[in-house]
Amino acid sequence: MRIGLEVHVQLPTKSKMFCSCPTTGADAPNTHICPTCLGMPGSRPSLNKKALELGLTIAKMLKCTIPETTWFSRKTYFYPDLCKHFQITQYDTPIGEKGIYYLGKKPIRITRVHLEEDPGKTKRIGDGSSLIDYNRSGIPLVEIVTEPDLSSPAEARQFLSELLTEIRYTIDLPEDGERSVRCDCNISVGTERCEVKNVTGLKNVERCLTFEAIRQTKVLKAGKTIERETRHFDEERKVTMPARKKEFEADYGYIGEPDLGIFHIASIAENIKLRESPLNMAVRFQKDYELDEKTAKQIITTSMKMAELFEKIVKISDTQTAKTWITGTISAYWKEFEPTAEEKTKDLISIISEFYVKKITDTECNIKLKALMTGKDPAEITETSSDLDKLINSFLDENQSILADYRKNDKAANRIIGSVMKQTGGKYSSADIVAATKRLIDIRL
Amino acid sequence: MDREVVERVARIARLNLTEEELEKYSIDLSEILEYFQLLDEAPESKEFNFNPVEIADILREDIPSMEIPANELLKKMKTYDDFIRGPRIS
Amino acid sequence: MSSRFSLKDLEKLNSRYSIFTSLTSEKEVDAEFVFSAKDNLASKDFETRAGSKILEGYAPGFDATPIKKMRKAGGFLAGKTNMDEFGFGTFSTNSAYGIPKNPFDLNRSCGGSSGGAACIAAIIEDHVALGVSTGGSIVCPASFCGVFGISPTYGRVSRYGLVDYGNSLDKVGILSAKAANLTKYLPIIAGKDPKDPTSCVQPEMRKNLRKIKSVAIPKEAIEGISKGVMESFRSALDVLKSMSIDVEYVNMPSLKYAIPAYYVIATSEASTNLARYCGMRYGQQDGDLALKFDDYFSSIRSKYFGDEAKRRILLGTFTRMVGYADRYYNKALQVREIIIVEYKNIFKTHDAIVTPTMPFVSPRFDEISKMSALQSYKADFLTVPPNISGTPHLSVPCGYSDGMPVGMQFIADHWNEDLLLSAATEWEKAFDIRHPEVKL
Repeated sequence: MRIGLEVHVQLPTKSKMFCSCPTTGADAPNTHICPTCLGMPGSRPSLNKKALELGLTIAKMLKCTIPETTWFSRKTYFYPDLCKHFQITQYDTPIGEKGIYYLGKKPIRITRVHLEEDPGKTKRIGDGSSLIDYNRSGIPLVEIVTEPDLSSPAEARQFLSELLTEIRYTIDLPEDGERSVRCDCNISVGTERCEVKNVTGLKNVERCLTFEAIRQTKVLKAGKTIERETRHFDEERKVTMPARKKEFEADYGYIGEPDLGIFHIASIAENIKLRESPLNMAVRFQKDYELDEKTAKQIITTSMKMAELFEKIVKISDTQTAKTWITGTISAYWKEFEPTAEEKTKDLISIISEFYVKKITDTECNIKLKALMTGKDPAEITETSSDLDKLINSFLDENQSILADYRKNDKAANRIIGSVMKQTGGKYSSADIVAATKRLIDIRL
Repeated sequence: MDREVVERVARIARLNLTEEELEKYSIDLSEILEYFQLLDEAPESKEFNFNPVEIADILREDIPSMEIPANELLKKMKTYDDFIRGPRIS
Repeated sequence: MSSRFSLKDLEKLNSRYSIFTSLTSEKEVDAEFVFSAKDNLASKDFETRAGSKILEGYAPGFDATPIKKMRKAGGFLAGKTNMDEFGFGTFSTNSAYGIPKNPFDLNRSCGGSSGGAACIAAIIEDHVALGVSTGGSIVCPASFCGVFGISPTYGRVSRYGLVDYGNSLDKVGILSAKAANLTKYLPIIAGKDPKDPTSCVQPEMRKNLRKIKSVAIPKEAIEGISKGVMESFRSALDVLKSMSIDVEYVNMPSLKYAIPAYYVIATSEASTNLARYCGMRYGQQDGDLALKFDDYFSSIRSKYFGDEAKRRILLGTFTRMVGYADRYYNKALQVREIIIVEYKNIFKTHDAIVTPTMPFVSPRFDEISKMSALQSYKADFLTVPPNISGTPHLSVPCGYSDGMPVGMQFIADHWNEDLLLSAATEWEKAFDIRHPEVKL
């Protein structure tokens, strides 16, 4: 089985690819539109610098060869969501070619990386006509094309998941929400391949490839041949359907886009510094800080920013201190804290500093951190927190063996957590209990 | 350029041609393309550009803004519930 | 300095000559100056139809940058001038809104595609008309109507707001009976505009206009010229010599490839530019939305595109199709480079090139209707070379043959508009320009 993917990712720019319309925050259809992204006669495109830089960053991340010069081309076809009836894309000079991505140890070859604009969104309505929202028209896309090096639907999904995690970190791509990932999936069980166009999201990619694999296998088993064709994925019924044989032909008739000119990208690409990828960071944490794989991965998958904070804390104290507080209190309240993390980092580090030089106790440190991270009143926290600490400490006093068990398997802490929760019947949040328990155990050890 | 090719090109370009038009354009285009054979004789060049003067590295800063309010643009369009109306898609 | 301008004759002139597709209803106006704009330049207060039925109703609500700049300089936009549909034509006979008539002879063409612009420029002496050239559409009508016309370097004037014909060929320029208007208003409409990236590489226009001292005439450019035009051209060369300008004949073998290369590039680009016209979002939108989209698009396009538009769409779709693109589109791009190199070589030793602007005086409408498409394309053989190479070029009225104006074309190297503006200024001093007799 050979699977290749053409992955389309919307780039996190503030304005569109060829015009200044905003890319997010539209509160209704057709509110972020202008003559250019509507293709109105007389309008003209101009290239978003950030889109080019982000595209080149991804090309570099995928270790592509980047040409000296690039330009854009017009791909002409007729559809209501494509305002100009040509898409400005890249045909003969993609910004990156012949790259590679390692899925674990397996190399997946990257054929090319290029930039293009998204069309609008169409939906059909009862009377047969259509309704179109052009807010999406002109949003910058990067297209990543792989060789058919993937061997199963599950592997394809794994590839997408890891690739997107890395892309997310490398170019600050937001996790969810308005930006989606779409794939054209190419799969051949035998010698002939089929293409399933425009599949949205990882789950659907795996589903559609699974269906196709089964379909193609059945056809071959019945002694028939697979026809090379384009298909669509029906998300509701979870099946692929052949695309209607076109009565009207399309010949894309590519020509260069004279309105944009050419771009000398080799020097821009050279000056791009790639951030360390999450996978690399996890490996490094294990080495540099002698963390076990599980802890290292836990820290990094919670948040790369928190991982960066971990390193900052190590600098002003030591590995153990950093580990205690990061995996304890800071992890517990990280989600709440993240939006304001950048401004409050300095304060947070001072608190831990105070603890490290024994100016404040661990209890006081815990309270101060929680107050800083959640914005709650320290007095309020003190009360609950010292009560909770007392409870947990007394439990630990009575059950010293738990500490030994914890050394072997940290799930031992769950006994304490469970018992305290039962005892206090919802008085304390589970986050609080978990954080406090971990901290107090760590201190004893 | 024979009729079949003209018909095919017309389909690609989304033009419905009448019998007369098909006849007329086949003749015109054949004449024109025969003249265009001059290009085959022309020397080749390693250089080519999409513009007659070099247009290079013109980039726009990523700053969102809208000059014309969206509802102004939509005024003359066929709309329904904020969407723009279009023909049947399937 | 603001003056009062009377506009009351415009309507009468329009009924006789079909100059405008849209005209102001004002009879009098206070302004620094009055100007018109070719109907393919977007304008706030008039529809912008580019001579086509398919754009009827298109009122985009913004001004093309050149219009914006003229207004800012105190100009009053009197109306939008008539033109061949989308710029497809040499005689303005392909307009869906009437055919402009030559003010020297109502049975003859104004030239094209900026026919209306040349007409009004010839009739009203102080009028400034904005025109657009792709293959010769400023200098051809300027020549046929006996006025000055300048097509600047490609990229000198922003094309934001211009309804596209060929993106690597279109240039906005000026037509007027007075050379001074070219000198005054070209700097106003020129300049970098971030909305049109192709306008952002230009060096500044020179303020002091250098004089032309030597010109070259390609031998290929004086073959196949009518007797009347050749006589006027030869007399004009004598005038140049009397202005102490050196005249020399040169060879330009690449000229013979200019027409095919131009029409391939122009129609390839145009066929993509015109793909958007489909009965949605603007212009004609009266189709039946229950139709499947391909049928919907085809029905609107077939109904509202004119004959020449269809011809060029077919041609330009073919020349970039798989299997043909290398031989036509890609080859044409290479040929353009060769022509540019030949021009640059000549400009190393000469300030400018001169040729007749058109091979004949304005033809009669019955003559035009007998011309095949290819014959009318070939009529552009003198104007296409500077247009395909993006070099600035100028037409000056240089003689009259059987009462009809003859034009002489000056071509300079990229960005050297100053040489042309000084040539126009000097020429105006040395030559008696005739104005058409217009009795209302």
